[in-house]
Amino acid sequence: MRGSRVLSIARFEFLSVVKRWSYLIATFGLPLFLLLLSITIFGFQTYFLAQRGAESSIFGLVDRASIVDGSRFEAADGGWPRWDVSSIQVALYPTYAEAKRDLESGKLRGLYIVEEDYLQNGSVRALRSQKTPLLSLEGTAIEPALRSLLRHSLIENRLDDAVKERVLNPANFVRGRLNSKGELVSSVDRTIELLVQTSIPLFLGVLLLTALLSASGYLVQTIATDKESKVVEVLLSSASADEIVAGKLFGLGAAGFIQFGVWSSMLVAVAVSASTLLSAVAPIPWLAVGVAPIFFVLGYFFTGSLMLATAALGANAAESQKLTMIWAALTILPLMVLIVLLDEPHGPLGEALTWIPFTAPLTVIIRLAVDPGGIAPWEIVGSIIALALCTWIAIRIGARLFRVGFVLTGSRPSLAELWRQA
Amino acid sequence: MEVLSFRAVSKRFGRSTALEGVSLEVIRGEVFGLLGPNGAGKTTLIRIGLDILRPDRGAVILLGGPPVRASLDRVAYLPEERGVYRRAKVHEFLEYLGRLKGLSRADAQRSAVHWLERVGLIGVTKQRVESLSKGMTQKIQIAACLMTDPELCILDEPFSGLDPVNVALVKDLIDERRARGRTTVLSTHMMHQVEALCDRVALLHRGKVVVYGELAEIRRRYSPHEVRVWTPMELDALGIDAIRDGAGSWRVALPQNESASAYLHQLVRGGVLIDRYEPLIVPMDEIFVHVVSGGGV
Repeated sequence: MRGSRVLSIARFEFLSVVKRWSYLIATFGLPLFLLLLSITIFGFQTYFLAQRGAESSIFGLVDRASIVDGSRFEAADGGWPRWDVSSIQVALYPTYAEAKRDLESGKLRGLYIVEEDYLQNGSVRALRSQKTPLLSLEGTAIEPALRSLLRHSLIENRLDDAVKERVLNPANFVRGRLNSKGELVSSVDRTIELLVQTSIPLFLGVLLLTALLSASGYLVQTIATDKESKVVEVLLSSASADEIVAGKLFGLGAAGFIQFGVWSSMLVAVAVSASTLLSAVAPIPWLAVGVAPIFFVLGYFFTGSLMLATAALGANAAESQKLTMIWAALTILPLMVLIVLLDEPHGPLGEALTWIPFTAPLTVIIRLAVDPGGIAPWEIVGSIIALALCTWIAIRIGARLFRVGFVLTGSRPSLAELWRQA
Repeated sequence: MEVLSFRAVSKRFGRSTALEGVSLEVIRGEVFGLLGPNGAGKTTLIRIGLDILRPDRGAVILLGGPPVRASLDRVAYLPEERGVYRRAKVHEFLEYLGRLKGLSRADAQRSAVHWLERVGLIGVTKQRVESLSKGMTQKIQIAACLMTDPELCILDEPFSGLDPVNVALVKDLIDERRARGRTTVLSTHMMHQVEALCDRVALLHRGKVVVYGELAEIRRRYSPHEVRVWTPMELDALGIDAIRDGAGSWRVALPQNESASAYLHQLVRGGVLIDRYEPLIVPMDEIFVHVVSGGGV
C-alpha cells in the first residue's frame, strides 16, 4: 500500500465532502442554529424572570378557619405580619376586605383565603386581580410553601417532636443491594458510584454508535456516487483496492469525525460539567475515558472498512445502508449485554468480548469504567494490538470485496469467485 | 518488443464463458485494434490486462512482467463506461487522476493545464464537470488518460459521442503517440477508424480470438483476387473477365498468380485507357460482419 496514493485519495474524498454546502450547513449551521435558538429561549426566560422579579413578591393570606400558626409571622413596619420564605413574602391579613383592597391596588401579587370549612374539605381559595401577571400563582414557590405552613399548623402542639418530624418527612430511603451470597454490597454512595460508572460507558457507547453512523452515512453515499458515476474502474487502473479503501476510510472518516465532533462538542461540554459534579461523590474512570479515543479510531477503521466493502456489494444505496447496519449492530453488542457486564465486568463474557474486534472497543471501556483494577494492562494492550491487526486484515478483505462488488456488478459472485479475486 | 501479452487466458462468470484460451501480444509503438461484437469479451480482457480482474487460467505480461502497481502506473485506461466525479471541478479531477498515477502536485497541475489546452478546453478549467457537454466530458477523460504520457494507453470507444472535428483531434493525438513510440490499444466498433489508425488487430468473438495479425495482411487475406478499373472503354467487349459495378467502373478478376501491378502493366500494354485503378481490398466492416455472422475465418 503506497502512502502517497492513500493520502491523495483521502484528501480528494475529504475535500469532496467538506466543500459541499449541505455538509457545511449540517456541520456548522445546525449547531449554530441550535445555539442561537438556545440563546434566544434562554434570553426570553431571563427577561421574563427579571420582569417577574421586578413585580411585587408579596402574597396575602386570610385565615378564616383560624388554623394558621401565627408564630411564623413577624411584625412588619407599617403593615401586616410577614412570613419570609424563599424569595417571597406572605402577609397575614385579619380581614378579606383589607386583603382584597391591596390585591386590587397591585400591592399583592396574589391572595389565598383559608376558608372556614377548611378542615372539612381542605378548601383554600386562590385569587388574582386584573393586574396580576398570568403565571403569578402557578409555577412559583408560594403554594408548596403554604402547604408546608398548613401542615405545620395542623400538627403544632398536637404531636411530640419525633412523630411530628415523621409526619412531615415520612420516609428517607436508604438503598442497598444483596449480592449472590446475600451480602449487602451497595450503599447509597455505591449506587451513585454505579450510576457514574454505568452512565459513562453508555455515554461513550452512544458516542461511538453516533460516530459510526455519521461516518457510515458518508461511506455509503460515496459508494453510491462511485457506482452511479462508474468512476471506480478508472481508480482501480490507477490505485490498488487497498489504497482506495484506506484512502476513502481516512478521508470520509475525517469528514465524519469533524461533523460528529462539532455536533457532540456541546454534549461533551455538558458531560464534562456533569462529571465534575459527579466526581465529588464518585471517582471518574479516567483510564476508560483516556483509552476511548484509541478504541474509537480503531473501531471506526475496522467497522468502516467492512461497511465500505458490503456497501459495494449492495445493489443500491438503500440495500447498502441495510448491509452496513449489520456491522453497527455487532459493534453495540456490549450495550445489549450491559447488565451482565456491569454485574461481572471481568467474567467470561467480558473477557471473551474484549478479544472480539467488533465488541472490543465498548467492552474494554465498560470494564475499565466499572472496575479499572480488574482488567490487566496486558489485556488492554493486547486488545488494542488485536484490534489493529484485525483492522489491517479487514481493510485487505474489505478492499477485495470492494473490487469484486464494483467489477462484478450485475452478477452475484460465487464464493469461489470471491476467493479467486482476492 | 511486447508491451502487453495475454497467454492462454480464460475467464468464466458463473456458467458463461467470457474468455477461452486468448493469446495475443501488443507490440511497442503500435496502435493495436481490439475488435469484436458486444459481449465478445473485450472489456473483460482489458480488465484482466490491468489486473482489475483475475483470470481463471493463463497469464498476463505487462511491460515485461506480471501486472504490478509500478507497471500499471505506466498505463492509462479510458473505460467504455466513462467515470467522472461530476461535482468536481475540471482541474481538480485531472490533478487527482494525475496524482494517482504518481505525478507530483506541481506536475499534475502543469500537465492538467497542458492537456486542457491540447483538447481545446482550457476555458473550462474552473467549471464543474457536471456543467460540461457529453463530448467535452469525453475530451476531459481522454486528457486524463494522456496527461501522464503513458507507455501504454487503452482507449475503449474513444470516438463515441464526438463530432467529426473532435474525432480528428483524437486521431491526431493517437498518431502523435505512435510517432513518439508510445503504444495504444484501441477498442472500437468504428471500422473506418480502425482502418485509418491500427497497425495490427485482434477480433474477438464469443471469448475467442478469431482474427489476429497485421491489418493490411488481414484485409488482403479476406479480399477477392480482383481489381477495380475505371475506364471509358467496354472491357467485356475486349474479352476481359470483367463485371460492370458502376458508371465507368469494372471489377476485374485477376488471373491466378498474377499480381495487381503486373496486370495493370498488361492492361496498359493492351491499349486499355485507364482513368483509375486499384486492387479490390475488402473493408474491415465486411470482414467483421463476415466473421461474426458465422462466415468462418
